[in-house]
Amino acid sequence: MSPMVKIGIVIVVLLVLLGQPAFVINEAEQGLILQFGKPIRIIQEPGIYLKYPFIQDLIVFDKRILVADARPAEYITLDKKRLTVDTVSRWKISQPLEFYQTVRDYRGAVSRLNDTIFARLREAIANHTFISFIREERENIMNRVAEETAIPAKQFGITLVDVRIKRVDLPEEVQNSVFARMRAERERIAKRYRAEGEEKGREIRANANKEKEIILAEAYRKAEVLKGDGDAEATTIYAEAYGKNREFFSFLRHMDVYQKIFGEDTTVLLRPNSPLMEYLDTPFVGETSVRKVLR
Amino acid sequence: MDQFRPRNDDHPVREIQKGVEDLKALFEGFFRGRGLWIVILIVIILYLLSGFYIVQPGERGVVLLFGKLNAITEPGLRYRLPRPFMDAITVDVANVRRAEIGFRSDGARTRNVPQEALMLTGDENIVDVQLIVQYVVNDPVKFLFGSDNPESALKASAEVALRGVVGENTIDFTMTSGRMEVQKKVEIYLQKLLDTYNTGILVVQARLLAVDPPAQVQEAFHDVVRAWEDRERLIKEADGYREDVIPKARGMAQQEIREAEAYKAQRVIRARGDAARFDVLRQEYEKAPEVTRTRLYLESVERFLPNTRKFIMEGGDSRVLPLLPLTNLGDGPKQQSSSEESPSSQMKGKQ
Repeated sequence: MSPMVKIGIVIVVLLVLLGQPAFVINEAEQGLILQFGKPIRIIQEPGIYLKYPFIQDLIVFDKRILVADARPAEYITLDKKRLTVDTVSRWKISQPLEFYQTVRDYRGAVSRLNDTIFARLREAIANHTFISFIREERENIMNRVAEETAIPAKQFGITLVDVRIKRVDLPEEVQNSVFARMRAERERIAKRYRAEGEEKGREIRANANKEKEIILAEAYRKAEVLKGDGDAEATTIYAEAYGKNREFFSFLRHMDVYQKIFGEDTTVLLRPNSPLMEYLDTPFVGETSVRKVLR
Repeated sequence: MDQFRPRNDDHPVREIQKGVEDLKALFEGFFRGRGLWIVILIVIILYLLSGFYIVQPGERGVVLLFGKLNAITEPGLRYRLPRPFMDAITVDVANVRRAEIGFRSDGARTRNVPQEALMLTGDENIVDVQLIVQYVVNDPVKFLFGSDNPESALKASAEVALRGVVGENTIDFTMTSGRMEVQKKVEIYLQKLLDTYNTGILVVQARLLAVDPPAQVQEAFHDVVRAWEDRERLIKEADGYREDVIPKARGMAQQEIREAEAYKAQRVIRARGDAARFDVLRQEYEKAPEVTRTRLYLESVERFLPNTRKFIMEGGDSRVLPLLPLTNLGDGPKQQSSSEESPSSQMKGKQ
């Protein structure tokens, strides 16, 4: 072997030896160094670090915000309603040493956290009615559960960011009764709408009819007044004219009436002494005048 | 080519050994010269060249020196020291990404995800909601190192926010008038959560795609819509009736009034005519009452008597009247009337 090759081998060996104790902690990580299983150093700043090979061990933890997604669990509210609640909590490892000593790793932490959250949430939900939990108190309950969980979590070297309720569901059979109620509710609304339509429709029709009757009656009134005016005026005119010679008027009118009431079906019995027959029996009294005419 | 032809040799192994020795000699010659240095140099150059990286448009490069944040670089061809000294991670900060809650779209088809979509409302109803969240990475460092799997955090947080807001409101509010408000609240709530979780994500928009009643009660909800339409229809029909009846009534009213006006006018005008006629006649009459009266009387009789049946009774005793067969006095009025006619015409002529 040439000396060049020997030098090369030496360099590689040196790099490996130097590389073994050197390690990098990046922005997302933090580390704990154990010497024969005993924690001796906590590294929370990113960078390059050295440790003794073989006698020291490095355990790397996440420094980012982590999630603990609990499995949905059943809870009972104050008004004895069953609920399936799915919570999710976010936290980070703030004390790697305590974390390592108490829960060891991520999975241990998640199960401890979820146990605590489950217990606290069950207490909180049991103190609230279903509707207040859903509607008003959700945020408060979550905050309280988070506060109560944060204290034991601190002993695990965990800083709890928050606990959130992801889903609240009703058990299957309750869900079906909710659907039934919703249907009933909608049917009620539908009936109301239809009845309202009927109501408004009838009202409008009745108003229209009323308006129509009023219009017609008003017209009748006006018409009668007008007719009366006409009759009155005509009467005045007649009275004024006929009043000038009542006797003559009476005579003329009688003549008109005779003409109207005598027709083909009328039989007239004429007495010879009536003024019309005056000349029938006594033709010679007025002879001169008749002759004059004939001639 | 000849050398690859099989040779007639008894010892092929020796041949191989010989070939290896030749190769060794060649290498040794090479390494003894400057050959080794060239190889080392090439390796070093290649190693150094591995420090080049490309930041695409719309991306940011996050450069780490021994795992520690060193720089954030803009798009272009960039250089950093090779690993393990430095490292660069590129993050897309311009692309608007989207997350789907309550459904998944693969290609053109969308698939409902009931366990995500169905949620309780504040009035104990269940509603089917589909939400789409559009977001960008606005802080690449936080996006990389702030939170574990920020995009799954976004999805979970969107569900938290959506269910929280929907749970505060009634089903009708969420489905109709409150839709925009719910959307806005979800957006704000979600952004708050994402900030707390150091995700480095900025919500561009949270949009409610569908807020529907669950399939199990859909029919009842549709019926409400139909009922509303029925309601409107009944009202419109009644309005139509009104539109029909009122103008007709007004027309009838106008007609009646006009008719009355006509009656009035004609009454007055006729009266005036009658009066005028009478007045003229009267004036003439008053000049010669006796003659005019007789004349008018006879003219009148002349006009109405011809058509009637007439009997002239001798002696003028009206006591025979009850004995007359009034119903059968039917025949030949004409002769009598003609006999009656002549004297009156003579009278007329006399005037």
